[in-house]
Amino acid sequence: MAEKIYSEIPMRTWRWLGVNEARVEESVLAPDMAAVQSLFVPAGESRELTVVYRQEGEGRLDVKVAEGGSLKLTVVQLLPDDRQYAGQVEVELAKGASLEAVAVEVGAAKAVSKMQVFLKGDESRADVHVLYFGHEARKLDMNYVLVQEGRQTEANLNVYGALSGQADKIFRGTLDFRRGSKGSKGYEKEQVIVLSGKVRNRSVPLMLSGEDAVEGHHAVSIGKMDENKLFYLMSRGLDMAEARRLVVEAAFNPVLDRIGDEELYRELDDYIKERLADE
Amino acid sequence: MSRKLLEIKDLHAGVADRQDKGEILRGLNLEINAGEIHVILGPNGSGKSTLMNVIMGHPKYEVTGGSIAFEGESLQELKTFERTRRGIFLSFQNPEEIPGITVENMLRASRQAVTGKPVKIMKFRKELKAAMEELQIDPEYAGRYMNVGFSGGEKKRNEILQLLLLNPKLALLDETDSGLDVDAVQIVSGGVRRFHNEDNACLIITHNTRILEQLSVDRVHVLMDGQIVEEGGPELIEKIDREGFGFLKQD
Amino acid sequence: MENRNKTFVEDIERTLYDIRNEDRSAYKSQAGLTEDVVRDISARKHDPEWMLERRLESLKVYNSLSLPAWGPDISELNMDEIVTYVQPDAKMAGRWEDVPEDIKSTFDRLGIPEAEKVSLAGVGAQYDSEVVYHSIQESLIQQGVVYTDMETALREYEALVREHFMRLVPPKDHKFAALHGAVWSGGSFVYVPEGVHVEIPLQSYFRLNAAGAGQFEHTLIILEKNSSLHFIEGCSAPKYNVTNLHAGCVELFVGEGARLRYSTIENWSRNMMNLNTKRALVEKDGIIEWVSGSFGSHVSMLYPCSILHGENARCEFTGVTFASKGQNLDTGASVIHAAPYTSANISTRTISKAGGRATYRSAVKVTPNAHHAKCSVNCESLMLDDISRSDTLPVMDIQGDEADIGHEATIGRISEEAVFYLMSRGISEEEARAMIVRGFVEPIAKELPLEYAVEMNNLINIELEGTMG
Repeated sequence: MAEKIYSEIPMRTWRWLGVNEARVEESVLAPDMAAVQSLFVPAGESRELTVVYRQEGEGRLDVKVAEGGSLKLTVVQLLPDDRQYAGQVEVELAKGASLEAVAVEVGAAKAVSKMQVFLKGDESRADVHVLYFGHEARKLDMNYVLVQEGRQTEANLNVYGALSGQADKIFRGTLDFRRGSKGSKGYEKEQVIVLSGKVRNRSVPLMLSGEDAVEGHHAVSIGKMDENKLFYLMSRGLDMAEARRLVVEAAFNPVLDRIGDEELYRELDDYIKERLADE
Repeated sequence: MSRKLLEIKDLHAGVADRQDKGEILRGLNLEINAGEIHVILGPNGSGKSTLMNVIMGHPKYEVTGGSIAFEGESLQELKTFERTRRGIFLSFQNPEEIPGITVENMLRASRQAVTGKPVKIMKFRKELKAAMEELQIDPEYAGRYMNVGFSGGEKKRNEILQLLLLNPKLALLDETDSGLDVDAVQIVSGGVRRFHNEDNACLIITHNTRILEQLSVDRVHVLMDGQIVEEGGPELIEKIDREGFGFLKQD
Repeated sequence: MENRNKTFVEDIERTLYDIRNEDRSAYKSQAGLTEDVVRDISARKHDPEWMLERRLESLKVYNSLSLPAWGPDISELNMDEIVTYVQPDAKMAGRWEDVPEDIKSTFDRLGIPEAEKVSLAGVGAQYDSEVVYHSIQESLIQQGVVYTDMETALREYEALVREHFMRLVPPKDHKFAALHGAVWSGGSFVYVPEGVHVEIPLQSYFRLNAAGAGQFEHTLIILEKNSSLHFIEGCSAPKYNVTNLHAGCVELFVGEGARLRYSTIENWSRNMMNLNTKRALVEKDGIIEWVSGSFGSHVSMLYPCSILHGENARCEFTGVTFASKGQNLDTGASVIHAAPYTSANISTRTISKAGGRATYRSAVKVTPNAHHAKCSVNCESLMLDDISRSDTLPVMDIQGDEADIGHEATIGRISEEAVFYLMSRGISEEEARAMIVRGFVEPIAKELPLEYAVEMNNLINIELEGTMG
């Protein structure tokens, strides 16, 4: 099956690492299978939007937030385990606009997703929270890019992931401070819990800067569960599996707690619990 | 009457890069003579730390009116380090961490800059060691990077260490006692006592009057909304300790 | 910590590195890269037959590979104009007196003979394509330590060289590794026998004098079981207005329980394309320590790689890169954890100013069998103005569930609060900024040999002069 380059890393590196581009089967990108949506948030107003993808194909979402507007965006990918997904979200923020985004990637056999946030206006702000869960032979390929153009902008990218089975995951997270983005701050953090010896985890935190008057920070930690934590929980009577489940859930809670929709929250919670129980 | 060190007249100042200039000090007057200890009390946000930073010439603040003179010379055109070299010292409320520069190297560079004379290494080390002992600072800290990984109390003691070694004419102490336990406050106040003599002066900001117990305070000023609203002798400390600032609110 | 006052360092003449000698080479290959050129170099160097074959094979690989699709733009490099072999008019000497005067005075100015007397156990000096001087302390020879130029090694330790040469960096690795394999010349060979500790460092210095030339020295170091060595590499060249090329290759074999420290301060002139490849293979309980300073060159692509091949093998990497006007310095490190309980620490500082571009690029790979691998990366970037660039591009590729990997990076400028704090202690604004920059690189500086730490400070002072205050 022919593949297409669906998204690319903002700055290329060694080819042998296989992280420069993400590919998607052409059939997934067939126009009749695309779910395209756009949203405009007028100046000074606030909106909430929740999108859940459950069918094979491509999801595309285009958002513009005008001056002083705010958007709470929740994007959830919950495809069946044998389906493929490609998705892109693009958000543009005008002066003083803000975005709180929650992205959850838990389904599909192969999911390729891209999110780009352009902080164009001065004092715009983006808080992006990402949760991913790799299970069985799932392939997850993510490319998140936060571009800071305006002055005094603030971008936060918080990523929590867990990988089990033979999951294969790439997470690219980029903070891009453009020249002129004086006074801007950017922060990126990815925490990965590895639950199986057969997973492959690739983490690519980029920080690009053409501006000196910025503060940027990124951090990645990859490891298995904290043994002290597990021991503590087990000393309180939980068995190993329960303790592990609890630790993963605790790691995911900062993201899940932001899902406003009660029903969706429960669905995701159950989905993750169920799969952790298979462990 | 003793020698006048600091004279502030009708001082107005605010944050420099804010369009509204966010005026914080609004017509403040203050005079400090050699040999004196002054205390500034005031609620949070009244402008105490701003005053300290403005005297020291912090670029973040802009003086929009009035004057500050030190030993008769206007400070207006002087950069921070020039003010230091004339004998003003600020003990920071939150001392900066400077990775890569050891306490000893920093202090030596600083001493050299302030005195304008080369520092003799062995003599300086002896002096440093003695001062560290007095402030109960582990001598190993001389080789550590400035304030990096120091606890709050260690940072404050490191400020007093610099006060002792630079021996300025006017020491500005911005909440040097905050966050310290009883013993540490004793050590810090002992350091201030050792520093103070007839030729120099202290201006102390504090929320906690314990540091003042062993110092002979000459004058107390109460700062509210960027102005001195009440002045008096040490008895004012007790009154505010008892009653808070409530009795001063006059609107 | 020993007290070195680095606050006030005298300036050195920038021109020290820029003094060029008249080009009176004995022989130069024709510019460009053809089979004839390669055969010619091989014949002049009296290569054994197998080496000629490897050169020709490398040439084929070179012609089959394209330029990397990532990293700095190196399209201005025109191989047809590069002279790959410049033989100086000098025989290899064991005494400085026997080195021709103009070449000797170059190394004098760089302080090499002086350092040899004071702080080194052996010295190699390469001028253009050939090594002109080599020495080693008698006591080391008696312990079986070998330190010589690669050509001599090829004659006298042929089997050893044949076994190791370009085994870690095969020509197929990338285009410039292939180029190196085809036209390499000069470099140093070190062999330290089992259990021998070389207490005083050895140093090789590489000087490229000829304009429009390439330098392709090969450094091969073999440390047997439980031995140790500190090797220092220095490089510089005068400035020309044509492009020079450096495509050296460093292969380090660190045996079981052995410890190698490899220190470099690279100060190529700003017409240099520095496309160097360095790689270490570390066996059980062995340690490789890289200390790397990149200040010079027009373009650099340099990422020392450590392959942690035996259990408990360890890598410590400390690097500083300072990119100024007209420079694009793409540097970093890679570590491959290929055995259990291997560990690595990478700590880097980059500074960019005056339109310079600094990139930190790295790869950390943990293979599935490398359980309990541990790696921590810390990179900090400082930007001194808003016309420069600083990019951080690390990749972690981790397999298995028993690895513990941490990565942290920050980017920013000099803190105005810190400047104010120092000024409030009487230090002038200009000096306060310089102190902060020096403090920023201090974790690296303290890992360098003293003379190099001083040289690094001098380089920083030169760079900071006139840009601040």
